[in-house]
Amino acid sequence: MSTPSKTSLLHLYGGLLRASRSFSSYNFRTYFISRTKRVWKEFQSNPSPERVSDFYKANLEELDILRRSAVVNSIYGGRKLVVESNQGVKRLRSDN
Amino acid sequence: MLLRASRNVARSSSRTAVKIAGVRRSFVQPSSLSRASVIDPPPPAVRDSEELFRPRTDMLGFQLGKRESNEKARPIYLDFQATTPLDPRVLDKMLFYMTDQYGNPHSRTHAYGWEAESAVDEARKYIADIIGADAKDIIYTSGATESNNMCIKGIARFHREKKNHIITTQTEHKCVLDSFRKLSEEGFDVTYLPVQSNGIVSLETLEAAIRPDTALVSIMAVNNETGVIQPLKEIGALIRKHRGCYFHTDAAQAVGKIPLNVEEMNIDLMSISGHKIYGPKGIGAAYVRRRPRVRLEPILSGGGQERGLRSGTVPSSLAIGLGEAARIAQQEMAADSEHIKKLSDRLINGITSRMEYIVRNGDPNGYPGCVNLSFAYVEGESLLMALKDVALSSGSACTSASLEPSYVLRALGAAEDMAHSSLRFGIGRFTTADEIDYVVEKAVSTVQKLRDMSPLWEMVQEGIDISTIDWSQH
Repeated sequence: MSTPSKTSLLHLYGGLLRASRSFSSYNFRTYFISRTKRVWKEFQSNPSPERVSDFYKANLEELDILRRSAVVNSIYGGRKLVVESNQGVKRLRSDN
Repeated sequence: MLLRASRNVARSSSRTAVKIAGVRRSFVQPSSLSRASVIDPPPPAVRDSEELFRPRTDMLGFQLGKRESNEKARPIYLDFQATTPLDPRVLDKMLFYMTDQYGNPHSRTHAYGWEAESAVDEARKYIADIIGADAKDIIYTSGATESNNMCIKGIARFHREKKNHIITTQTEHKCVLDSFRKLSEEGFDVTYLPVQSNGIVSLETLEAAIRPDTALVSIMAVNNETGVIQPLKEIGALIRKHRGCYFHTDAAQAVGKIPLNVEEMNIDLMSISGHKIYGPKGIGAAYVRRRPRVRLEPILSGGGQERGLRSGTVPSSLAIGLGEAARIAQQEMAADSEHIKKLSDRLINGITSRMEYIVRNGDPNGYPGCVNLSFAYVEGESLLMALKDVALSSGSACTSASLEPSYVLRALGAAEDMAHSSLRFGIGRFTTADEIDYVVEKAVSTVQKLRDMSPLWEMVQEGIDISTIDWSQH
């Protein structure tokens, strides 16, 4: 496989983040978002050209796994966690 | 015949329709109350502690259904020592072998068997890698309890003729202690080593306890209640000096969390659990050294699978799940431990900076994902009940049904009242900083509330030393 272009790498990164966000369980969602960011940041700080194509391939597989897992998770996903119910509502003023 | 039956059904239904149409009422004629059949409302399918509005039997109308907004939120999971959630990546791998690849890994005559066998062996390799062993040393069992039973009883019974002494510590898991109790009933001489006040067993005590006829020393790697890490390397080197004495370690809480190497640590037998490393429940593994060979008597007799030590078909999907969990654990170990250490410090600092009279049980340099805190002058069980939004435990899950204080904390020399007021916070891969902040907030306010109610706390505030009071005066 030839070396993937910068666009395809960015596209894959976006896909991974989208797949991570689609988990319905709070803990899994947060974990996979932060993990994806961490792994890619590490890669970005040390982008050796011979690693790029391996990295791309591994993350393509990861994307498939995350997509499937997110579907299973959304089918069986249960109630929201207590910390989640406190979030979401962004109050603009203190009195509303 | 069938045609006639269906025609009859059609005819009778049309007749009833006509009858109903025959008693058609005019628009403004109300039905009298006596003709309304009032029935009791059916009970709700899910009983909720938040009581919904229910009509009395003499009320007409309909019952209010459960509203989405009334749904109770799920508590935060902080009991990663009891079990861990199955990692979605592990489940994804397992699903393939639960649905499409259903072959028996021991079938040698067709492709279904070969595919399952190669996947099971690949998983075996991942498990071996995480503890620095060879894939052939790994034996699948049903869990750490079975592994512990197999190793301890197997070694002791195999060497029964020549050696009659076995050693363990007082803070082991229940399944290890119970195996030793069983062996002592069978006539073995058992030594239960005491631990120091930080939970670590002292090497001098261990060396003094080893005799020429000692067959086995079993010491756990990471304690399940306090997170104390035993110095396995030193213990292994010490035991290796005594010929014919085997070293078993229960590493259910340690695998995938701290680096382990059976060669460096001179470990002869090790127990591994699947559901403590984000794998499935119902699977575990035992490491049994082959060079130099460790021989033990199997508990199960049968088809001779797993080197004859554990007969019975290997549950391929579970075994593959365990392997995948081990692979992920090894890959993520550095990141996970950094994350867990950060959250653990956040929890400990958050609680201790805002309250006093809090004791951390066990060695502070132990595994950071297990934080055992004693809240003085607060009853642990009532604190657990008050912290409804947090899934916690006061000790191990096996003994969480009883109100007895933890025997592990008693072995550490904790006073009875401090052992009664302990809580175990388990932090894992999927815990977030928001959850920790929420727990700190809740724990601080609840402990404060319970202390305000407590007469003991009042006396402490007044400066009375509680330990000097003679309670049985009257």
